[in-house]
Amino acid sequence: MVEKELRDEFPIDWEDDDYVTRREFFRFLTLASGGLALGSGVIAGFATFSRSGRSMDRKLVGKATDLKPGQSMNFNYPRPNDLCILIHRSEGEFVAYSRRCTHLSCPVSYQHDKNRLYCPCHNGVFDVVDGSVKQGPPPRPLPKITLERDGDDLYAVGITRGVEA
Amino acid sequence: MRTKQQARHAQHGVVFSALLLFSLVLLAIQLWLFVGALEGLLDGRTFMPVPAAAVSLIVFGVQIWMFLGMRRLERQD
Repeated sequence: MVEKELRDEFPIDWEDDDYVTRREFFRFLTLASGGLALGSGVIAGFATFSRSGRSMDRKLVGKATDLKPGQSMNFNYPRPNDLCILIHRSEGEFVAYSRRCTHLSCPVSYQHDKNRLYCPCHNGVFDVVDGSVKQGPPPRPLPKITLERDGDDLYAVGITRGVEA
Repeated sequence: MRTKQQARHAQHGVVFSALLLFSLVLLAIQLWLFVGALEGLLDGRTFMPVPAAAVSLIVFGVQIWMFLGMRRLERQD
């Protein structure tokens, strides 16, 4: 109150105007802490509710006869923007993985000649058999899409996420 | 010779600096938790964000407690 009266009486700028008191700095730290706690809470809420509400419905991926052994095709599961890849490894044996590299989410691609899934961003390599990391910086295996076969039709029915090595 | 008032003031200054440093450390921990929670969300792992948010909330409580304690110290000066 006294300071405000003085300011009104002597409206002159001086260098101590830029001085941040310890109390002001502490208040800033407390506010920043509150912001981070709030942000973490929002992230936690989003992670919990958006995932519990996400459907893992059976979704038709394609026909088994459409892919010859050694070929692959892309599809989206469970949401339209979730990239996945279906691979016909050998006669009648299909595997599917998320295409998002577990390092920095670059899309991986299937290299039939080297029998691997390759991420071009940082030379990450995943095993085609189980999605495990064979080379590079990815910390976890690729999420595996569970497939079901009904006659000639292939369905995606769920996702199994790998754990950190 | 220092008076009792001066000695108390100096002591409060030390306590205040300690609280400030501790507050900075807590903020760094919260930042780490926030990044971990965000990474977990983007990666599709659900086990990280909720505990991270809970710990972050506890740390925020500690920060408020220290802030109130600091104000109490100031009033005593």
